[in-house]
Amino acid sequence: MNAIHSCFKAQIGEVVLPGDVFQFDVSSVEEDSNIKSEKIVCGPGLRRNGDEILVYKSGILRHKQPSMYWIDSQQKRYVPVKGESVIGIVTAKSGDIFKVDVGGSEQASLSYLAFEGATKRNRPNVQVGDLVYAQFIIANKDMEPELVCIDSCGRANGMGVFGAGGFLFKVSLGLVRRLLAPQSEMVKDLEKIFPFEMVVGLNGRVWVKAKSVQQTLIIANLLESCENMTAQQRRALFKRVAEGAL
Amino acid sequence: MELDINSPVLREFGSEQSLLSKPDGSATFMQGDTSVMVGVYGPAEVKVNKEIYDRATLEVLIQPKSGMPSVRERTREQCVRETCEAALLSTLHPRSSLTLVLQVVHDDGSLLACCLNAACMVLMDAGLPMSRLFCGVTCAIDAEGQIITDPTAQQEKESRALLTFAIDSKEHNVMMSSTKGSFSMKEMQQCIAVSQKASERIFQFYRDSVKRRYSKIL
Amino acid sequence: MAAGFKTAEPQEYHRSFLKEKCRPDGRELGEFRPTTLNVGSINTANGSALVKIGNTTVICGIKAELAVPTADAPDKGYIVPNVDLPPLCSSRFRPGPPGEQAQVASQFIADIIDDTNIIKKEDLCIEKSKLCWVLYCDIMCLDYDGNLLDACIITLLAALKNAQLPKVTINKETDLPEVDTQHKRHLQINKHPVASSFAVFDDEVIIVDPTTEEESLATALITAVTDEDDQLCAFHKPGGSSLLAEKLQDCVSRAVTRNREINKLIDKVTESKKSSK
Repeated sequence: MNAIHSCFKAQIGEVVLPGDVFQFDVSSVEEDSNIKSEKIVCGPGLRRNGDEILVYKSGILRHKQPSMYWIDSQQKRYVPVKGESVIGIVTAKSGDIFKVDVGGSEQASLSYLAFEGATKRNRPNVQVGDLVYAQFIIANKDMEPELVCIDSCGRANGMGVFGAGGFLFKVSLGLVRRLLAPQSEMVKDLEKIFPFEMVVGLNGRVWVKAKSVQQTLIIANLLESCENMTAQQRRALFKRVAEGAL
Repeated sequence: MELDINSPVLREFGSEQSLLSKPDGSATFMQGDTSVMVGVYGPAEVKVNKEIYDRATLEVLIQPKSGMPSVRERTREQCVRETCEAALLSTLHPRSSLTLVLQVVHDDGSLLACCLNAACMVLMDAGLPMSRLFCGVTCAIDAEGQIITDPTAQQEKESRALLTFAIDSKEHNVMMSSTKGSFSMKEMQQCIAVSQKASERIFQFYRDSVKRRYSKIL
Repeated sequence: MAAGFKTAEPQEYHRSFLKEKCRPDGRELGEFRPTTLNVGSINTANGSALVKIGNTTVICGIKAELAVPTADAPDKGYIVPNVDLPPLCSSRFRPGPPGEQAQVASQFIADIIDDTNIIKKEDLCIEKSKLCWVLYCDIMCLDYDGNLLDACIITLLAALKNAQLPKVTINKETDLPEVDTQHKRHLQINKHPVASSFAVFDDEVIIVDPTTEEESLATALITAVTDEDDQLCAFHKPGGSSLLAEKLQDCVSRAVTRNREINKLIDKVTESKKSSK
């Protein structure tokens, strides 16, 4: 564990640039024969290149126990990844599938059977223009991405068509991940202002709905402005809003 | 030759990332009074006739400060495009399009170098996969054979030869070379050496700018 | 078998040749294809030349016209090069306005003419701010099999050497130019630039004079232009894999010897043309 971790350690939490490499000290591994084969997981932004690990995106190097490493970057364009949940917009119906725009380079397909309780007879009620919260089951660079609105047990599990009367907008992928982080401070701070519903897709789309249109827009604007603020700035702003400055 | 190869003179440079809302990545790069703004779109849907089955299609457009893009811009576009192609891992996004639009804001010499620097910044900003960084350095050789790095438009005009190189961040080798005027092999080697030295400063600047950009969420 | 392998795995096919230090067409890595030249092939032009490098065939015609010099350079004539890549020469070119490659080649040649002063532009002036020659150098590719720039520059140089301009005087009374087609003179060529193109394979192996196939598989292309004094007039590498400065040096040394060969060829052909008259 340590041999590999040591080469990353100094850089964790630091900004790295494409072309930076992490090299393992292979000689020290051989000397210490107790070390069994080590496994590390290279997340987004890192790839193996022979004996070294290459950074291919700019951002902050993150680490999760026991041996997961990835680059946290602020990009805007979404690239589908298997298993990620996104907000899509249905753009076309063609035969057995819906075409869904997820903001990637290609439209994703969504079968009409991939909804909870759907059968050949009982088609789900999906119209062009509807928003769907769905998960990728196929997403790789060589194939058309495919979405489903059911989990492996056939349950909706929160997925499906949604979005009557709310507001959809786009933020950066980095902000979305911060919103979805467990115990996200940002969301907690927002909740204190007034109650609202929120759907966050990993493709950078956020849907919110509060009691009134005005409140919905306030929430949307606050979220958008979080993009480029430090934690203190954000708290100060939220405090002003809560006090009725807007 | 009085030139100190170890500390080439470069004009003050400045840069900003993510300043436009529509493109997937955007940046400006300034070297002295030369300034270029650039936006990138992609990986996005590609036209069928431009689709490449195993990698992304990269298009580079350079808009001059005034007037329509001319043949000279075509040459610059080719240089920027092929340099970007070598740095990008475009096989990770097959059958998609990447469009780089560079707008010349002001040209006061070393324009191609500035375009290359802006292009590298924007590719980083958009989070596109790259195997290495690159930077552009222009060297002018004046009538007395002195090498001037990062020349202004006036210095370019007075020079006997003008050489622009793109240097990569890994081995500091020459990725691109575009020249004007005549010069000897020895002079070219000296210009490469100076550019390699200058590139270290530019790469450090890249790092500092990206750090500044991420400082808010660190 | 070999054909199938070539179609399915072109990269691997070439690699297996390069490992043996040779190329699919039997050349060594540093060997140019046979280069042949013919001058004065177009009777209606003031000067012309046709060059073949392997299959690549490029023809250049020079048409001289009289014009008024521009206001900012009253004592200079001008040279207008243009490279045309018609659909005839390769399936990759479509009819219509010139594509990027043709535009880049035209610009490259215009830069070479300006940078090296092949012809002093003052020589093209007949009378200051009144009359000068314009040389339209139309370069057309007839068969495209890689290494366009080398062929273009050889044909341009040979055509310029071949070109003859009639004597022109301005009639003092009528103020009109009078062309004396009996007395023709050759142009004064100051510099003899010759280009050598290289392709880089797998980021390290450098081969000279690439064919179309080699160009499309290469990771980088380089064109070095040198003159007879071994000065570089252009070192063009539009991108691609990065190379050590020493490797670039090797390219330039090869370009220098190539310059000698080509200039000898041009001289020989021009001489034989003269003596045959």
